[in-house]
Amino acid sequence: MQSREEAFMARVQSGEKVEVMDWMPDEYRNLLIKQIHMHGISEVMGAYPEREWVMKAPTIRRKLALNAKIQDEIGHGQMLLRLAEDLSQPYGRGREDLMDDVLDGRVKFHNVFHLEAPTWADAGVIGFLVDGGAIITQAMLLGSSYAPYGRMLKRIVAEESFHMQHGESVVLALAAGTPAQKAMLQGAIDRWWPAMMFFFGPREMGASSRRMLDYRIRTMTNEELRQKFINRYAPRIQALGVSIPDPALKQDPATGQWSYTDPDWDWFSYVVHHNAGPRSADRLGLRREAHDGLRWAREASLQAARHFAKEADHGISAGYAGL
Amino acid sequence: MEFPRDTPVYEVFAQREALSFPTHVGSVRASSPEMALQMAREAYFRREAAYDVWVVPESAITRAREYPEVLPVAPEEKTYRLPGGYDNAPLWKRFKAEAQTIEQVAEEMAAKKEGRS
Amino acid sequence: MMQPTTQQAAALKTLVIPMADDEWMIGHRGSEWLALAPDLEEDLAMSSISQDEMGHAELLYEVLHGLGEASADEAVYLRGPQGWRHAALTAAARGSWAEWVVRRYCYEVFDGIRRKALQRIPYAPLVAALQKMDREHAYHLTHFQSLVQTLAYGGPASRQYLEEAIREDWPKLPDLFEWGGRDEAWVSWDVAALAPSMMRAAFEQVVRQDFAAWQLTWPGNLPAADRAARHHDNSEFLAALLLEMREVRQVAPTSGW
Ligand SMILES: [Fe+2]
Ligand SMILES: [Fe+2]
Repeated sequence: MQSREEAFMARVQSGEKVEVMDWMPDEYRNLLIKQIHMHGISEVMGAYPEREWVMKAPTIRRKLALNAKIQDEIGHGQMLLRLAEDLSQPYGRGREDLMDDVLDGRVKFHNVFHLEAPTWADAGVIGFLVDGGAIITQAMLLGSSYAPYGRMLKRIVAEESFHMQHGESVVLALAAGTPAQKAMLQGAIDRWWPAMMFFFGPREMGASSRRMLDYRIRTMTNEELRQKFINRYAPRIQALGVSIPDPALKQDPATGQWSYTDPDWDWFSYVVHHNAGPRSADRLGLRREAHDGLRWAREASLQAARHFAKEADHGISAGYAGL
Repeated sequence: MEFPRDTPVYEVFAQREALSFPTHVGSVRASSPEMALQMAREAYFRREAAYDVWVVPESAITRAREYPEVLPVAPEEKTYRLPGGYDNAPLWKRFKAEAQTIEQVAEEMAAKKEGRS
Repeated sequence: MMQPTTQQAAALKTLVIPMADDEWMIGHRGSEWLALAPDLEEDLAMSSISQDEMGHAELLYEVLHGLGEASADEAVYLRGPQGWRHAALTAAARGSWAEWVVRRYCYEVFDGIRRKALQRIPYAPLVAALQKMDREHAYHLTHFQSLVQTLAYGGPASRQYLEEAIREDWPKLPDLFEWGGRDEAWVSWDVAALAPSMMRAAFEQVVRQDFAAWQLTWPGNLPAADRAARHHDNSEFLAALLLEMREVRQVAPTSGW
């Protein structure tokens, strides 16, 4: 007879969707939590490198757009953490715990957000390439077997459309600009290209990523995603008159497959696992400032909520906070 | 305490399919949330199926229309945060590259999934 | 008023530049709170508010542009420090969360009063710009009132932070009510509400009421404004702020970005 686990696997493989209240194997739940928690935290941590350029954005329009773009990323973090919180309910863990995990090194975030972003062009190239890569991954996840994830990703992908246009617009302006602007762009591409090759993960996927494929949490391999990315972005970067720092980058005309130089897998994965990148400590420091440093403000909201609940019991109008 | 003459109101939300969001379809009176689901089934779904149905006590709902200042307004001035606020195509053309849209990416990924690529 | 006379245009500029600069600075400073608010939901709310403010500034700079001043982008990125007329409070460095909440609450109360007064000047482009801001302003005010109230009832530590922040910002408020230009600029419009003393009184009335509702002690009457209110000619602080804000732009000031 088929076990409950086997029946579940058969269901998701036939394209059926799963909801948070449905029964699911612990393995499935844990893989989802791992994936969505990391995804959500990466959105939040992704705010920091771009944030470094908010106060210095070169025009009013760019400043507004960059603010809005970073705000969207925090919004994506919020939506995704809500999903991870719902999944974590059986473990009695909520927002505070999931956010504490970042500061305590219990959840990883994307390699790219550990790196330096020393010029305005980096802010543009993050929008262009990192968002470009994230869009490819997220478009793949739209077909996830976990329906709440698929639904949220629909919203997220819709917002990414603006990120894509914004990132391209910044990069195009630099490419069409003065020699100093072009040099700035070239420098940023040189920095971000190897990081983007790591972004999609190793050529051979690890055990848990393969399990996610089995469960249809994701639907494509790392290498498939990377190929899609190179195929979209390499020709565009070259068209801008910017060189890609990889002499081995070449497309096989018969198969369409791109060959590329391997990024330094060991270094990048050390960075991600130990928060040991050049800017990891600074950016975690800012997250700590908000999360630990302002814990008192969140506790104040809880206290105030209790105060107004008591007043409401006694028939006293709660005023503004009565909202 | 005076005994109410009517059973409580539950607002009914329906989700048409797995990847759609719940939408309000109407309300029913019932003695419990479970009964409300039973009533909603025949009140609103006599001609169609649903992927899921939610019932929410009317008393649990706070509406923005009662607080006009928090009601979201369309950001007509904020084209900087809309994809349509950018026109990259002419510049891409100048660099002899193709402009791209997110819809194209999504399409390409969906095609792969269905084995069309 | 169809076409303002030279004199009227000058008077309008004296009144609109301070508002435009206040809105810009408070939005610019507000964007520094990105990803640093106490929780993700508040981060989203705060960011929208800062974007709104910078958008309002842009609208007002465009009104000024119509009166012969530089374009919005030039006003922000190329104008010398002697041309800025913001109140020091709006540009002050990022401090504590409680200070920011108090600063923003006070600013919203004041801004509502100033906007209502300015709306009575019969210059259509200005009235139209101010009207566009009204809806967002109502939300801002409600939000900051809710935040102050939350801190007021957030327990002893929270209340203490709030009271410290009020004491910290109180002496910095009087500059807000000044126009930083010749009195004729507002006297000539025959709108009593434009008088600094009137704006102060209106501000005190609202804040007194709110503080009483939240059981906060009234910190005493506002001190008199500095004679050099809204003038920053030799301010090292403003010079540093502008330098940072223009760091990228100055690489190629007239190029596309
Ligand atoms: Fe995102
Ligand atoms: Fe994005």
